[in-house]
Amino acid sequence: METRLLILNPDPVFEDRALSIFDMIDGVETRIARTLSEAITILIEENFDAFVVEEEPTVAIEQATNVRQHFPSLRILCLVPCKIDKEQAAAIDQQALAIIVTTQRESRLASLLKTFIGSLDSTGSTAAEGIDPCHSLIGNLNQFSAAEILQMSCLSQRSGRFTFKSGRGNSEIYLQHGAVRHAVFGELEGESAVAEIFRWRQGRFYFEEGIISHEQTVDRPWAHLLIDNLQKLDETLELVSV
Amino acid sequence: MKDRQLETKLRLIAVQLDSWKKLHDLITYGLDKAKPIISAEQERQFTDLRGQLLQETEFVLRELGILGELSGKAMNVLNRASSVRGVRDLTGEETRRLEADWNAVFTKLGVTQGQLKGRRKQLAAQNPFSYYFQRVLRRRAVAA
Repeated sequence: METRLLILNPDPVFEDRALSIFDMIDGVETRIARTLSEAITILIEENFDAFVVEEEPTVAIEQATNVRQHFPSLRILCLVPCKIDKEQAAAIDQQALAIIVTTQRESRLASLLKTFIGSLDSTGSTAAEGIDPCHSLIGNLNQFSAAEILQMSCLSQRSGRFTFKSGRGNSEIYLQHGAVRHAVFGELEGESAVAEIFRWRQGRFYFEEGIISHEQTVDRPWAHLLIDNLQKLDETLELVSV
Repeated sequence: MKDRQLETKLRLIAVQLDSWKKLHDLITYGLDKAKPIISAEQERQFTDLRGQLLQETEFVLRELGILGELSGKAMNVLNRASSVRGVRDLTGEETRRLEADWNAVFTKLGVTQGQLKGRRKQLAAQNPFSYYFQRVLRRRAVAA
C-alpha cells in the first residue's frame, strides 16, 4: 500500500532537497502543489496520508494552521530551513503539527523523513467491506454528500447509527430522535469528527436503525452543526479561490 | 531498485508538464471569444505561470537532455503569449504558430516522460546486484 503525500512547495525545481529524498523512499507517492489554494483544491478532491509544507517557518506554520482548521484529522509536517522560536514552537504544538529542519546532514534528514512516513497510519487507506444489504439505508457519497444524508435523517427524527466508509477511514455518527448524539472518526470525537465527515465526497455509508450510543459527545442541535459546518466548508472553498 | 537521477527527472518532468497544461488552459480561455471577461485574477495566474516557466524551462530541458530540441519552441510560446489579453489579440497565423509550438513542447515532454517511466519499470524489476553485474558484463573488453 502506497503512502500518499501532498507537498506544498512553491519552488519544486530549485528547492528540492526534501523532495529528492521523498523520491527515493519506497512506497511513497508524492503530489506537488505550488500554492495553498491549489493544495486545498487537491485535498478536497483526493485522499492523502499527510500534507507536507516546505517553506520559511512563519509561512509554513501559517499555511499549516490554515489547512489544520479545514482538515482536522490530516497529518501535517512542516519542513523549515532554520530553527523556530518559542512562539512558533507553541503554534506547532497547538495545531498538532510535526516539524523537521531541512538544513541538516542529508542522511539525518532522510532518516527523519523516513521516520515520519513510518509513523503514518495506513490502516485507513482502504475502504473496509462489511455493508449488509439488510441495513435500512445504504448509499454512495458520490451521489449524496454526508451533509445531505444527515439532514434527511435528522428531519425524519431517526435514531440509529450511520457508518461512513471511505479511503480516509471509517467513522460513525449516532443519532437519537433526529439529533446527533455521538460522532467518532479515528481519534476525533464529537463536533470535530462531524466536521471531518461533513466534507467527505467519496466513500459509502449505511444506516442501522435503533442502535443508540450511551456516550454523548455532541450536544448542539443539528441545525447549528449544519450551519457551522456549511460555513466552514464555504471558508475552505474561499481559500481555494484566493 | 530506484535510480536517484531518474526519479529526479521524472519529478521535474511532471512539474514541467503540469505548468504547460495550466498555461494551455489559460491560452485556450484567452482564445475563446465566447468568453469575453478576462479577470485580473486570471491575468495574475498567467503571469505567475509564465514566470515559473521562464525560470525553470531551460534548467529542466537541460536536465532531460532535450534543451536543443525544445528551447526555441518553448521560448516562442512564452514570448508570444505575454498575457491572456495578448493571446486574444494574436492574428490567426500567430495563433496557429503558438498552438503548434505548444504542441511540440507538450508532445516531446510526454514522450520523454513515457520513456523515463519505462526505464523506472525496468529498474524496479532489478535488484542492485543484478544491475551492477549486467553493467560489468556490458563493459567492453580492454585489449592487452
